[in-house]
Amino acid sequence: MHVRLMKETRFSKQCHNFVCPVNSTFLIFILNLILQGDLGPFNPGLPVEVPLWLAINLKQRQKCRLIPPEWMDAEKLEEIRDKERKEDTFTPMPNPYYMELTKLLLNYASDSIPKADEIRTLVKDTWDTRLAKLRLSADSFVRQQEAHAKLDNLTLMEINTTGTFLTQALDHMYKLRTNLQPGESAQSQDF
Amino acid sequence: MAAGPALRELDSDGSSEELVLTPAQLLGGLEQESNLKRAKHGDLKVSIHRMEIERIRYVLSSYLRCRLAKIEKFFPHILEKEKSRAEGEPSILSPEEFAFAKEYMANTETYLKNMALKHMPPNLQKVDLLRLVPKPNLDAFVFLRVQERQENILVEPETDEQREYVIDLEEGSQHLIRYKTIAPLVASGAVQLI
Repeated sequence: MHVRLMKETRFSKQCHNFVCPVNSTFLIFILNLILQGDLGPFNPGLPVEVPLWLAINLKQRQKCRLIPPEWMDAEKLEEIRDKERKEDTFTPMPNPYYMELTKLLLNYASDSIPKADEIRTLVKDTWDTRLAKLRLSADSFVRQQEAHAKLDNLTLMEINTTGTFLTQALDHMYKLRTNLQPGESAQSQDF
Repeated sequence: MAAGPALRELDSDGSSEELVLTPAQLLGGLEQESNLKRAKHGDLKVSIHRMEIERIRYVLSSYLRCRLAKIEKFFPHILEKEKSRAEGEPSILSPEEFAFAKEYMANTETYLKNMALKHMPPNLQKVDLLRLVPKPNLDAFVFLRVQERQENILVEPETDEQREYVIDLEEGSQHLIRYKTIAPLVASGAVQLI
């Protein structure tokens, strides 16, 4: 359900991002947030770590420049993509929210990210490869009627794309299976 | 304030079918919110604080919406559970939610009676909501992330040909498994649903 997808992107905003304030009118010493505690001091020209939602908002008000995370670099992403294509299983991603970060940063701050288009393509390729692997393994899970699966290096966004459908399908199959012998374990509701 | 990770836990509540305990600390967070409504003329700071309060309000209200949806879906079973819980155990519903659940049940019964039941022959005028409303499906599959390492969790076989086997849950790993096997771990906080 896409409600879940929206929730996850909202929460990915809890992850931090580097921000570099550029405008000299922007000078707050310490910002105290409920969740993160103290942020700051904000001095022009010096990088500060802030949560992603704040970074995007400040960028939109043109009060700062965003510094991309160090994994958002064309060569690194190319390595990651090639590794993902080689392996059969899922490789660990540089950040559990890599997809949301890429999307948001490339939307709002593509001017401060070198080779933005290349990065977009590389991340999309990696995403496609991983989703293809996920579809294959979900298929074999259902086919072999496994009871348990370990999905260590999957990010939340990937899980949510197939998660609801997969769990509902598994539930239906379970119900059909357990109702093969009626009267024993099945708790059917009579009217 | 340790509300950050607690908010992430709230998010996981949407995945389970059962009603999980209300964390009291987050209701406390709502009160903090009202403290921060001071009118300062430091423009940027105020707007940033306001943004954060909006975010927190969104999370809390979506959590509440999730709980209310679960109450509406399973109300007879939840009320039954409330009735049969022991004296010392904490309630799974807040007092307002409990009132909501009771009112919902009363309204549903009145509605069914006025719409249909009172026009039926006298011996068919009773309806047992506990049997009619579907129970929460504890055999559903869920995704989870492990917070504390667990050993020897028994995985029941799906088909008759399979054997049951044990697995260990490493800290930080993610799994897909049936809810029933790990239900007590969710309640104790050793795993988190995603």
